[in-house]
Amino acid sequence: MLRTLRINARLFLEGALLSYVALFRWLRPMTYLASKIMMPLASILFFTYLGTYATSAGNASFYVIGNAIQIASVSGIYGVTMSIGGDRWEGTLVYLFGTPANRLAMFVGRAFFHVLDGILGVLIGLGWGVFLLGLDLSQTDFPALLITILATTFSTSGLGLLLGCVSLVSLDTMFVNNLAYFALLIFSGANIPVTTLPGWMAAISWAMPLTRGIAASRGLIAGESLATVAPLIVGEVAVGAVYILLGYVLFRWFEFQARRRGTLEAF
Amino acid sequence: MKAIEVEHLRRVFRTTIGVLRRTVKNVVAVDDISFDVAPGELFGLLGPNGAGKTTTVKMLTTLLIPTGGTARVLGEDVVQRADRLRGRIGFIFGGERGLYWRLNGYDNLRYFASLYHVEPETSKKRIPYLLELVGLTDRAKEKVDGYSRGMKQRLHIARTLLHDPEMLFLDEPTIGLDPVGARELRQVIRGLQAEKKTILLTTHYMFEADALCDRLGVINHGRIIALDTPAGLKRHVLDLSVVEIDVFGMPAEALGRVRALPFVDTVSVENVDQKQVLHVQTPQGSAAVPGLMETLSGLRLGKVVVREPTLEDAYVRLVGGEA
Ligand SMILES: Nc1ncnc2c1ncn2[C@@H]1O[C@H](COP(=O)(O)OP(=O)(O)OP(=O)(O)O)[C@@H](O)[C@H]1O
Ligand SMILES: [Mg+2]
Repeated sequence: MLRTLRINARLFLEGALLSYVALFRWLRPMTYLASKIMMPLASILFFTYLGTYATSAGNASFYVIGNAIQIASVSGIYGVTMSIGGDRWEGTLVYLFGTPANRLAMFVGRAFFHVLDGILGVLIGLGWGVFLLGLDLSQTDFPALLITILATTFSTSGLGLLLGCVSLVSLDTMFVNNLAYFALLIFSGANIPVTTLPGWMAAISWAMPLTRGIAASRGLIAGESLATVAPLIVGEVAVGAVYILLGYVLFRWFEFQARRRGTLEAF
Repeated sequence: MKAIEVEHLRRVFRTTIGVLRRTVKNVVAVDDISFDVAPGELFGLLGPNGAGKTTTVKMLTTLLIPTGGTARVLGEDVVQRADRLRGRIGFIFGGERGLYWRLNGYDNLRYFASLYHVEPETSKKRIPYLLELVGLTDRAKEKVDGYSRGMKQRLHIARTLLHDPEMLFLDEPTIGLDPVGARELRQVIRGLQAEKKTILLTTHYMFEADALCDRLGVINHGRIIALDTPAGLKRHVLDLSVVEIDVFGMPAEALGRVRALPFVDTVSVENVDQKQVLHVQTPQGSAAVPGLMETLSGLRLGKVVVREPTLEDAYVRLVGGEA
């Protein structure tokens, strides 16, 4: 029992390390850092100016917070799917499926680093908001905000795991990723208040990661307490868990089908 | 207990052909295969391309579910007990895919060690030992991306030995290696054999099978057509000699005429540069040469040699000149 736990914890960490190291073999550290700092700036400036131009200047913090939290979805979606999709074109799936490894630990480990990476992105985004757009954090319960950010990157990484499996089952990876990313832009409430969406669209919003995380962050920055936004945070984690579960089920299904139909080498 | 027990194993693939008017086609990759391998034995599977060797290995390594029949490896059923079996066996499929190219050799082994539940203390000693064994110690910190094909294949060997498996499946491990690299790999395989590991090996190189294997199974069209020791298989051709004739430009109808000769048993053609080398198996030995010359008259011929048959000739005879 204890040994099993230890083995899986190690597998989880090794997988996290693997996707981390692989990322840096891909990007040079400077390129990575530059994109880490500049990308949030670009997206926050763009959406905040667009939003305040369309509505009123008083709404700046609405857009700054929404788009800062939205940054979590970049690591969550693109980072995680790249880590899982990489196995497909490197031909490692046959060898992975031949091991006795716990599939859940193997699978979830790949997302871990991207959760940390996502948190960093969100913090940088909020930083830009404070320095350039006058975001006021004086009323904010910081530990609670950190918990919210953690919950949100967790849930977007959960969506990333599901999308990574979808890409194994073969649709075009980038198409699926972009679709999900833009769907989040519309539905997450970062730029369009969920309350103004028609009922069916709002229903989609609440089924997606990010939505609750953004709402909770706005509440916390406006001075609400952790207790008030706790249901939103718990909801965000639950949404993430559902996506991870769906991704895991899809992963197992894919593995079984590959063994049954003999399609493993096709990937 | 047997290390491998295979009974009437069968695997059919459904494939669809055509984009618009899709038709479903069934490919019988493995038709009906039965054999046993004893613990510690090095068993070779031979057969022409598409005979069903890789498909058999995939089923025995839990990567493919059989359509029919049963197989037990180390006493575990390959379907029912796949999870238990996986930690006790190792496998490689020849070729260079299946490694993380963006990681270095050492990190690749580290990740697979955790996938195989090797304790960190063990793998800290085991990985350097295996890198040494396959001659990659100096290159271990380089990205696999920059490895040659042979280095990647050697890394695969190290990968599959991480958890010290009781049984190994090696599907064409020496494919594409240079002669020296292939010889070194055979040396490694001999070492594993000395450690009493059970090994199932597939290969297209007859001298390799002859040199390494305790017993051989020859598969063709998804069925075992011979099962014997290398010496036993050679006995199939003991009564024959082989006449080798160099021909520059061999028309198909001339080949047909040679095959039709009453004193000719089996003929295979090997392309060497611009010439074809005809290997004619005949019970008559050198007495067959005049008759062959007459049949080939008009063609440009090179040297003619009469020699004793080898394992390769036995194999060619078994699969009917297809190799
Ligand atoms: N996944 C698959 N889907 C459809 N057909 C397949 C699949 N895998 C193998 N086959 C077919 O099954 C037959 C046996 O293939 P297999 O790879 O087992 O042969 P092999 O003996 O390993 O050949 P080689 O010496 O070329 O490696 C071939 O006709 C092949 O086309
Ligand atoms: Mg093969």
